[in-house]
Amino acid sequence: MMKNRSLSFWLFVMPTLVALLLVVFIPAIMGIFYSFTNWDGLTYTTILGFKNYMAIFHDSGFLAALWFTVKFVVVTVILLNVIGLSLALLVTRKFKGNNLLRTIFFMPNLIGGLILGFIWQFIFTQVFDAIGLSGWLTNQTTGFWGLVIVTIWQMSGYIMIIYIAYLQNIPTEVIEAAEIDGASAWQRFWNITFPMIAPAFTVSMFLTLSNGFKLYDPNLSLTNGGPYKSTEMLAMNIVNTAYSENDFAKAEAKALIFFIIVGAISLVQVYYNRKREVDL
Amino acid sequence: MKLGWKKIAVVAMATVATTLLAACSGGSSSGSSNDNGKTTISILQGKVEVNKQLKQIAKEYEKSHPNVKITVSSIGGGTDYNPVLKTRISSGNAPTIFSLAGPADAKQFSAQAADLSNTKIAKAALAGTTSAVKRNGQTLGVPFNIEGYGFVINKTVFQKAGIDPNSIKTYADLQNAVQTLDSKKSELGIKGVFALPGKESWVLSDHLANLYLGQEFNGNAKKMYDSKSMKFTANEEMKQMIDLQKQYSIKPVMQMDYSQQVNQYFSQGKAAMIQQGDWIYPTVEQIDKNFAQNEISMIPIPVKGEEGKLPVGTSLYWAVNKKKSNKEQKAAEDFLAWLYTSDAGKKDVVNKLHFVPAYKGYDNFKMADPLSQVVFDYSQKKQTTGWVFPAYTGTSWDPNTLQPNLQRYLAGKQSWNKTVKNAVDGWKQQQSTK
Repeated sequence: MMKNRSLSFWLFVMPTLVALLLVVFIPAIMGIFYSFTNWDGLTYTTILGFKNYMAIFHDSGFLAALWFTVKFVVVTVILLNVIGLSLALLVTRKFKGNNLLRTIFFMPNLIGGLILGFIWQFIFTQVFDAIGLSGWLTNQTTGFWGLVIVTIWQMSGYIMIIYIAYLQNIPTEVIEAAEIDGASAWQRFWNITFPMIAPAFTVSMFLTLSNGFKLYDPNLSLTNGGPYKSTEMLAMNIVNTAYSENDFAKAEAKALIFFIIVGAISLVQVYYNRKREVDL
Repeated sequence: MKLGWKKIAVVAMATVATTLLAACSGGSSSGSSNDNGKTTISILQGKVEVNKQLKQIAKEYEKSHPNVKITVSSIGGGTDYNPVLKTRISSGNAPTIFSLAGPADAKQFSAQAADLSNTKIAKAALAGTTSAVKRNGQTLGVPFNIEGYGFVINKTVFQKAGIDPNSIKTYADLQNAVQTLDSKKSELGIKGVFALPGKESWVLSDHLANLYLGQEFNGNAKKMYDSKSMKFTANEEMKQMIDLQKQYSIKPVMQMDYSQQVNQYFSQGKAAMIQQGDWIYPTVEQIDKNFAQNEISMIPIPVKGEEGKLPVGTSLYWAVNKKKSNKEQKAAEDFLAWLYTSDAGKKDVVNKLHFVPAYKGYDNFKMADPLSQVVFDYSQKKQTTGWVFPAYTGTSWDPNTLQPNLQRYLAGKQSWNKTVKNAVDGWKQQQSTK
């Protein structure tokens, strides 16, 4: 009986396992291998060892992209969570039209990043110019804030939904009890609501952090890394290395480093956020 | 006999798994095989704007050559085409005919591209048009067409300002004309003399830089591709030309892209001239057909020692896959030869594909649009200089060194000396590791 069960277990797992193996694990292992060679997308002729990796640390474009991405992630993680939580607090209050507002705040998230980038490119260059704020997206600073604004506009509705889900799970008795005990609105938020939605922070911070590092579409359509490559983020730097410079092996090496950075930071973040979560 | 659910499940799962694996390995049987004695040739090419026309021509060819079947796929844009070609080669579904963009591609795909030197089509190609894709004495590609660029001008504006565009030969002539145009801006109804798209780094890095880098290599891309160093001796002249275009351009320069330059400003008569090539014609025509047909022309960009010469070159080459059967390769070569050398094919090249031919035997043809006509005329008169930029467009020096440095200069963030130094040093570094 046990033997039969394990047979059917493996048979049911097989299709998924095969698919996962074929499209995730084998390509990943091949990619890691290629990063040690001079692969050009078709063949490789020699094994270079760590030469590609050494070259990355002298690649000023990659280091600039890394620094730009880190700055972007710090700013967007803070702003997205602050704005997402504020919107969630706003629409969970009882007033007419709160459902309509939820829909409106969420809507930008339904538009793809590429299209958003083009829409905002028009706004930054034409509309901003018309109201006297000319020169947007023509230097690194405005390019950076342009990307931040687009990301906030797109993602904050999504983050809001996550906070709403957790806010609605807070038992009303706890809040009422605190109210009867004479706690002020701020005290109720800081001492009850805030600790109770700690799991939402874990999820939202993980999402904003990893999305921030991996951002590509708005980067492509809004600035395309320009002017003079000053707004190129990590994902775009990797794509360009592979496809416009035809250096697939170096791009693989960059992608692996990128994966390790994002993985490590996300794990540390989840570990520390988890510690803060409380149970009633 | 007890045929339980488990056994059924086992069979079902096994079927799923087999189908999955079969699906992954399938697809390679198509392509080269010849059914009922027919030879099938597949074309994958990077000039997406002629996709429809090429398919029509393939149909026409199939009619007159019933033993051949042709499938055409087109992928647009320089950066999208190569990954697709690579995928098709690695998946065993490689095309019979594919396109190459220059020396870097010829090197990458030298394991696939057949030597065409002794074919009819290569012999018909104009002198020098295949030099960029020659490797070790083999001709790995034949040109699609020739293209040319310069200042595309608004003839009406020039006429109103009382300037004869053909009299502009030297930089001083150009400067005078620009100043005249600028002083009459309001009565001519233009917003600026030029429209310089600061966002499109290739306008400066590929086309403009070519004029000043090319002299060192006699306009030969292969020569530059193989060269260890580059002096950029004519850099001061290039600076002059960038400064002139920037000063008299519609502003802000750093915000302008290709579509603003061509669609919004030039096609609507807001700029007197733009630095572009004959490829902008279809776009201008879409916006204002009458304007496109009657009011535009092209003049060379004045370069010292090369006055009155138009930079003309080839951006794509046809290659034939040598891994295919001899029969298929022969059919591919026959099709290319038919397209560019037969009477019916020649008409299609000029009137359907709107190509300026890079082949002999087109003396009495009239091009389909005025910009192509200019390119054709200069090429017939041999008043041309070559393109060296295909030597670097597929290398990292272009996007990582030349383009950002030129843009930094254009934005006023960096001195010209630094720009030149970075460009020269960067080239040396890249070439030393190649």
